[in-house]
Amino acid sequence: MKKAFLLLLCGALVFSACDKNNPNGGAKESDLTGETVDLSAFGYTGPRKIFILNEGQKGANNASLDVIRFSDRQYLSGVFKKVNPKAGGLGDVGNDLIVIGDEVWIAVNNSGIVEVISAEDEKEIAAIKLPTPRRFAYDDDYVYVTSWAGAFVDGSYDESFNFVITGSANPKGQVYRIDRKTKKVMGSVEVGYQPEGIGLLEGKLYVANSGGISFQIAPDYAYDHTISVIDAASFTVSETIDVVDVEGGSRRVVNLKDVYADPFNKKIYFTALGDYGDNHSGLYYIQNDGNIYLASHYVSVSARYGNEIYCIGTEQEFDWNATSKEWSVWSWSGNHKVTYFNSFLKDMAVPYGLCLYNDRILFVSDAGDYFNPGTVTMIADGGKVWTVTAGVCPGHFAIW
Amino acid sequence: MRGGFSVLILLLSVSWRLPAQEADTLSAASVLSVRERPVLRPSEEVRLDAQVAVPLQVADVLSRFTGVQVKDYGGLGGLKTVNVRSLGSEHVGVFLDGIQIDNAQNMQVDLGRFSTDGLQSVSLYNGQKTGRLQTAKEYASGAAVYLRSERLAHPDGSGGILRLRGGYPGMVNPSVRWDKDLLPGLTLRTSAEFIYGDGRYRYPYYDTTLVRENGDIKSLRAEVMLLGAHSGGDWRLHIYSYGSERGFPGPVIRRALGFPFSAERQTDQDLFVQGGWRQEWSRRYATAIRMKYANNYTHYCTHAEKDPMAFPYDLHYRQHSGYFSLAQSLTLTEVWSVDLSTDLQCNALDSDAGQFVTPRRLTFTGALATRLVWEKFRFAAHVAYLGAWDVFKTPDAGGWSRQNTWRDAWMPSVSLSWWPLPFLEVAAFCKRTFRLPSFNDLYYSLMGNSSLDPESAFQCGGEVRFAREWGRWSFEARVSPYFNRVAGKIVAIPTASQFRWTMLNVGLADITGLDLKAGAGWSSGDWDLRLTGRYCFQQALDHSARGSRTYGNQIPYIPRHSGSVSLLVRWRRWSLGWDSVFTGERWSRTANIPDYHIAPWSVTDISLERRILLPRFAHRTAQPSLVAAVRCTNLFNCRYEIVQGYPMPGLGATASVTFAW
Repeated sequence: MKKAFLLLLCGALVFSACDKNNPNGGAKESDLTGETVDLSAFGYTGPRKIFILNEGQKGANNASLDVIRFSDRQYLSGVFKKVNPKAGGLGDVGNDLIVIGDEVWIAVNNSGIVEVISAEDEKEIAAIKLPTPRRFAYDDDYVYVTSWAGAFVDGSYDESFNFVITGSANPKGQVYRIDRKTKKVMGSVEVGYQPEGIGLLEGKLYVANSGGISFQIAPDYAYDHTISVIDAASFTVSETIDVVDVEGGSRRVVNLKDVYADPFNKKIYFTALGDYGDNHSGLYYIQNDGNIYLASHYVSVSARYGNEIYCIGTEQEFDWNATSKEWSVWSWSGNHKVTYFNSFLKDMAVPYGLCLYNDRILFVSDAGDYFNPGTVTMIADGGKVWTVTAGVCPGHFAIW
Repeated sequence: MRGGFSVLILLLSVSWRLPAQEADTLSAASVLSVRERPVLRPSEEVRLDAQVAVPLQVADVLSRFTGVQVKDYGGLGGLKTVNVRSLGSEHVGVFLDGIQIDNAQNMQVDLGRFSTDGLQSVSLYNGQKTGRLQTAKEYASGAAVYLRSERLAHPDGSGGILRLRGGYPGMVNPSVRWDKDLLPGLTLRTSAEFIYGDGRYRYPYYDTTLVRENGDIKSLRAEVMLLGAHSGGDWRLHIYSYGSERGFPGPVIRRALGFPFSAERQTDQDLFVQGGWRQEWSRRYATAIRMKYANNYTHYCTHAEKDPMAFPYDLHYRQHSGYFSLAQSLTLTEVWSVDLSTDLQCNALDSDAGQFVTPRRLTFTGALATRLVWEKFRFAAHVAYLGAWDVFKTPDAGGWSRQNTWRDAWMPSVSLSWWPLPFLEVAAFCKRTFRLPSFNDLYYSLMGNSSLDPESAFQCGGEVRFAREWGRWSFEARVSPYFNRVAGKIVAIPTASQFRWTMLNVGLADITGLDLKAGAGWSSGDWDLRLTGRYCFQQALDHSARGSRTYGNQIPYIPRHSGSVSLLVRWRRWSLGWDSVFTGERWSRTANIPDYHIAPWSVTDISLERRILLPRFAHRTAQPSLVAAVRCTNLFNCRYEIVQGYPMPGLGATASVTFAW
């Protein structure tokens, strides 16, 4: 009897063995293979790569980077983690992605990191510490990053560029600038509440202030509706434009999101998400004489191609009981709206990212349920070419 | 070979006979058989006084039950909720002495807040509990966990227990209990307990080891209970107060060096007063009245000044709830009874959060139940009605106005059992319940959808039980297959914007499962050995949207295979306990892909207890005792996560000394 229990104890020991997994060393991107995709629509003139940032879900540490590699027509998933296994994944909530020269800059919002990698092999060049980075703009010397950080802390960078927290609850956001060569943070300037999009036009940075969380927070409980204009040379706010009454009447323009500079016509485009109630989303533009106009309503996702802004939106955007929505794609080219026939949107739950290679080829991503991996679809000449599974919330594209 | 085979049988089979008794019955009035005989028995019942070095939290006791998944965020202060047979924790009713512990804000009960101190038993019902004089809420819960307070009999009219517990990861837990018989038939019970946990434990992070920060907790619980008994009835009054201050360590994510994972803190102050009075008016008619008032205050602050990544929330919530229940039981014949239970509850939630809708809810639950109980064949059925009236503020053109919604549902249930032999029992049940949408589901800003319907759970299950003794041996086995369907499941769905979500009744999950439990006991002279094995198979498939890429996948956090092995050895005044819990592979998302795969894990606890009888005090007949116990948790230092991103503690140990007089 006792023997049997002794044997049982031994059995339980085996039963209790732990599962241990060791992270492997890094892989070379050139050795990675993924799904082969049809890129014949590009002909012989395609780019080298298209980078896709999957935002991931807050708290789940699952932001990831996918790459369409044109040399051998591969769609590669989760490249950053495979190439840089020691970084601990790309991080928590990827928010923006931009190609600058041969570098890819990625804002990893909830990790507090601006990740700079090589476009050639995706190896990490620098991980810059910066509180809640949101979106990028750049000129020859600096990369400008909007940050919600100022909404939560007073802080500054010391001589060795470590962020030092000095006080609490300064409710406004910041724009940081980072030296492109040294990757050091070179100061910041205060803008509005929870700044999002940023665009550079003729030496001026236009920053869209959303107030995306201020509406829940005392004392204002309100969305922001201003654009901060920063003089890039002096790095100070030269003007704050209030856009709330642009539409006149009872409609209010609040909760600003994207900013696009159109250097050809010297215009600044911006989008507003609205307040999820009576005030709907829309695309607006600032003429070079300073007047502001509404282009059209209903913008969930937007992208720029040349001097045109492409948008995907739905009139049912604030219908909380709709299980499927009628999405449409339209573009605004200076002074008129063109709505496209878009059967490919029928299968999509939530169009979440948009990228135009040219006026024939575009990529649309679908966030699905925001919880499980979404998809990326390539569209050429109005028809779907392929759809692949991406990461969670694929939302941003950059062409190299 | 034969020896090996018998060991295998032992490994596969095994447990001790649980004292399978029904609820504490009324004073020994002449009892009709319909009152005594259960139709369905609890799926699991553990008497805590039969355990060795009882774990501190109720959640740890439940984690060994078949079909129960405890979702644990780690540490003493981490949220712990139970999910029974994949129904979702909102469908599990938790009852303390027959009265539900509820939370209208999120419909979840944190079982990490309930201490095993002062509890006599913890039991789980998968099918319908079919006793007399139940509250209507008991009929309206999908699955039910019952916590029963201990009633000690003191030969001297008074007595107490003093306990000191401490251990690693840093924990100190003194508690005291004192009981006094004030008058014949009137007992006062008081208890208090303090818990401090530093929440600092090591966990692996890539090639380094980090220490969990900001996971500390301080809590204080104080209770006073008055228990009265009189001719043909009894009553109790229970005042319970709990206060805690804790930090949430947050998920382990990539964070720039120097930015903390989290600086969130929460303060809770819970107070409830509950009471019940049962009266047998005649041989045929009895009533039970139960009442409760609860007041829960929560202060949640992200401390943005310490964590630049946090959203700067500093929110206060207060919930009030009032509850009244009247249960009536009519015994028509010796084998047939009819029960009518009616419950009325009101909930109110206030907060200083932005755009808060200050919801109020009035819930009526009624149940008409009947039982037919012969010795070998037993039948119970009920139909319950749930109606809830919500009133809330809503923003409109001119500002705010009050709106209201009415939700209702009918919930039928049938249970059958057949006891062909004294040691064999066959049972089946079928039941449909609904859970109301929580205030968070309905009104949470940027998320809630006030037009939600209740979520339904349909359950169907069978059970074969066997329990027999042969000389020094005793055996017990239970096989329970089941099928559940959760329909109209409330799921968060994104809208056109990433910042605004909505809740919709679109989820559908089909769950097919099998619970197996087997036990063997052997006792002789000084020795008493018991071995229990449990295994649970659950195939919980997402059937929400045909054609979606996740259709037919296993739903998040449900393992296909899980189980536990417990061994208890007693020799004279020594006791040794061994518990191994095993959970198979899981996924944190419906996409069952490697990125969201959670490795299987198994954790073993071992405990040792020594009881010492002390010399009697003068003028007292009770013999005081001293119990010294040591418990080693996660003996093999297994690194595991129950919730992805929330590492669990490795090897730990607690020691306790208990003095009872």
